[in-house]
Amino acid sequence: MTREEIKDVILEIIEDIDEEAEFDNLDADAPLRDQLDLDSMDFLDIVMELRKRYQLQIPEDEYPELATLTSCVNYLEPKLKDA
Amino acid sequence: MAEYQLIIIGGGLSGIAAGIRAARFGVKTLLLEQHTIPGGLNSYYFRQGKILETGLHAMTNYAAAGNKRAPLNVLFRQLKLSRKLFATHEQVGSEIRFPDASLLFSNDPLLLEQEVAGAFPESVDRFIALKKSIAAYDPFTVQPWKSARTFLSHALENPLLEEMLLLPLMVYGNPEEHDMDMGQFVIMFRSVFEEGFFRPGGTIREFLTMLLDQFKSFGGEIRYRALVKEIYREQGKVKGIQLADGEILTADAVLSTVGMPETIKLSGWDIPQQAYGGRMSFMETVSLVDEKAREGLDSSATILFYNKKSQLHYQRPTTFLDLSWGVICFPDNFQGLEKEECFQIRNTNAANYALWKAATPAEYTTLKQQWTHAAISNAEDVIGPYSENVIYQDSFTPLTVERFTRKAEGAIYGSPLKIRDGKTPWPNLFIAGTDQGYLGIVGAMLSGVTVINQHILS
Repeated sequence: MTREEIKDVILEIIEDIDEEAEFDNLDADAPLRDQLDLDSMDFLDIVMELRKRYQLQIPEDEYPELATLTSCVNYLEPKLKDA
Repeated sequence: MAEYQLIIIGGGLSGIAAGIRAARFGVKTLLLEQHTIPGGLNSYYFRQGKILETGLHAMTNYAAAGNKRAPLNVLFRQLKLSRKLFATHEQVGSEIRFPDASLLFSNDPLLLEQEVAGAFPESVDRFIALKKSIAAYDPFTVQPWKSARTFLSHALENPLLEEMLLLPLMVYGNPEEHDMDMGQFVIMFRSVFEEGFFRPGGTIREFLTMLLDQFKSFGGEIRYRALVKEIYREQGKVKGIQLADGEILTADAVLSTVGMPETIKLSGWDIPQQAYGGRMSFMETVSLVDEKAREGLDSSATILFYNKKSQLHYQRPTTFLDLSWGVICFPDNFQGLEKEECFQIRNTNAANYALWKAATPAEYTTLKQQWTHAAISNAEDVIGPYSENVIYQDSFTPLTVERFTRKAEGAIYGSPLKIRDGKTPWPNLFIAGTDQGYLGIVGAMLSGVTVINQHILS
């Protein structure tokens, strides 16, 4: 997957988790949590959804890698290159 | 390989929520319900062509769509249900009525504050300060038991106001007699006085159908008339369950929502069962009343919490029922519901399980009639006459509750000791629902969700 595709997947997953998510004005380098008002339970859903879709196991100590949209893409790019 | 990754015992709200959560992420899940209808305590049945709900007076934790951190909306996101499409009806308004004072409250927390200012002008500043300390309190971090009564008596210095505030909070969610754990008090205060009461559009049946449809759409399976006889173990691990008809089903993990006393029995858990027996159970009398009885009846509240004394005796009574305090609920008094030709009155009074249990079947029938009559005439003292216009009437005793919910001694709020972490001595047997800690419909469902998140998905 390209970086752009990974970004779309992340946004699609968030949209799926939260019907009220608004992506206008989303800053790719600022924490998703604050901008979208997500809590830790929502975060778990992003992790679980990635596991379900791509059989990706993300260990708990690596959750901080998913903090911003850009960091998500950086972190997932090598893992999803063949997906 | 086990037949299922997860078996959930109990098709009540915590079990169903747990099931949706697990199935949503591909966990092969089987939900087992002993009865033919799901819901546990919050279920329904049909009489005279009418659907009657059990349990539910109102849901607590009202939150408008859009308030993302509110427990109700967190729950909907976790279950991948649309909060926007979920119709809710807020309460009209409720009342706490004691001999020397009355307090009205609604889903606007300001009303209660004004009412306190009106009835107890000397205490309103303390009440506002109390709300601030409640807002700052974190009830979700596990802490040793702390007395809510001690906290309240220091914070308010007004014994009557303390009793009045405790009545709705205790009767809607306190498994302990006399006093309440501080964390539980904070949760209940927020759920009842700050978020407030509502009911789902339609009946509990549509609500359950919505949840079960979601569960099935994720691939979850449910079996009815599936009474679990044993949680069977091998070499320190749970292997599965055995049903009453002898059938064995294997699973990688088992989640029990049947309460601690039952779980102890089913699993052969070597701890004393007694500490987990709740003593608070209730009798509920439901009456369908002809609309013409409305005239002259004090029936405008959604829920009326009354006490005929100035102190609240929240305890198992020494007689079959305690008629000195209770709850009268008018389930038709929610905003936006259409008026029908008859309306419901539901009466709740604390009951003594042991006395009901000791009765022979013949005595039980007579006692139920006698005490139903007493409960109705007691309610008439509070709201005015309606017994002559009752079209249909039914009562649930602690034994009814025990039979349908499997909660030992009919203790609807379960054990006074909660298993906050949901763990048992077996690494793959978990507890959710009332005895894990959260109460009420929203609370029970969040319990199922939390335990699955912590132990099955992580």
